[in-house]
Amino acid sequence: MTKPTPSQTVGPFFARELLWKDGGTVLFPGRGERITLTGYLFDGAGAPIYDALFETWQADPAGQFPKGDDGARPYGYGRVSTDPGGRYAIETVMPGSFKGPGGETYAPQISVAIFARGLLRALHTRVFLAPLEVVKDDPLARAIGDPERLRTLIAIRDPRDPRIYRWDVRLRGAGEAVFIEL
Amino acid sequence: MPETRTDDVHPPYLYPDYKSTRLRAPSQPLVRVSPSPLEATGPAFPRQFVKDSEADLTTWGRSAPLGEKMILVGRVLDEDGRPVRRSLVEVWQANASGRYPHPVDDHDAPLDPNFLGKGQVLTDDDGRYRIVTIKPGAYPWQNLGSAYAQRLITQMFFPGDPLLAIDPIFQSVPEAGRKRLIAELDLEHGIEGVALGYRWDMVLRGPRATPMGV
Ligand SMILES: [Fe+3]
Repeated sequence: MTKPTPSQTVGPFFARELLWKDGGTVLFPGRGERITLTGYLFDGAGAPIYDALFETWQADPAGQFPKGDDGARPYGYGRVSTDPGGRYAIETVMPGSFKGPGGETYAPQISVAIFARGLLRALHTRVFLAPLEVVKDDPLARAIGDPERLRTLIAIRDPRDPRIYRWDVRLRGAGEAVFIEL
Repeated sequence: MPETRTDDVHPPYLYPDYKSTRLRAPSQPLVRVSPSPLEATGPAFPRQFVKDSEADLTTWGRSAPLGEKMILVGRVLDEDGRPVRRSLVEVWQANASGRYPHPVDDHDAPLDPNFLGKGQVLTDDDGRYRIVTIKPGAYPWQNLGSAYAQRLITQMFFPGDPLLAIDPIFQSVPEAGRKRLIAELDLEHGIEGVALGYRWDMVLRGPRATPMGV
């Protein structure tokens, strides 16, 4: 085995406009229920985090992982950065649930990686797009156990606009999101 | 503080000498999960995603950017030394004066209208890439392998840089990993009198175990 290249911070600066054209619109070959995942990133003092890179990868509505592209961009992948208020938004389709290698069922979810100044390595997690009752038997939900901690990974559907799923991410301190080791 | 794998070459999340980590590093341990198809798969980049011209950062302006031209070659490999094909390698760097063209970089160094500091390339079937650029101060890199778990952002440093000994971001990396962050001079790939050549391979860690059937 060769030793891997160590991770380093993305910081200090990267230009949002250069990073990824239309990166906030996730492409899929077929149709699906259009949704927007949006929220804010906060640090350990509760301050919004500007200029973080927020990336997503997910299954399609049938629970399949996209292998292709539309000729210009890969399917299933999103990349945005947070604005000065710490806000991100990804327009995508509702992912389906899917099976793991041992036949276990995964709830509808999106894989998220966060990169920022001050993060020497990426923070990885998964955000659930289903209520707690649906999520509780998911393999990650079981690994977390504590429902209070699990709640940090559940996006809340906007009661006024059901296309919007709101998910705020606190990197450290009270309400700190669960992050996973890959 | 979150635990890291014992064989880890990666820096810890919390590294107080790098002040920005103090409010951004998670305080809870990372949760270990069984490998899922989410991390074993990853986005597929079409050839057209990258234009050949994007591998040369020196041709974007009306004239050549300021600074010392250089050519960087290398391979993207997995931990078993196999090439990672069609891996997206992105580079993002400061200009020769150490300034980034970003609205919040207000430090007192000139912008260079002929240098955007952004490039990208897809690796070929041997995992090889080649980038033409100018020598900057610092050097963040991004890399997307074939599995999402391989996603890496790292930095390349130059050999013999005396600042490495006092750079907290470089020093945050465990001793075992530091050598990997430093490029080697590669005279074969330079152009005499025009550009120095450097070689830098990137090794991507795979997911802990690859699920079958995805
Ligand atoms: Fe780790």
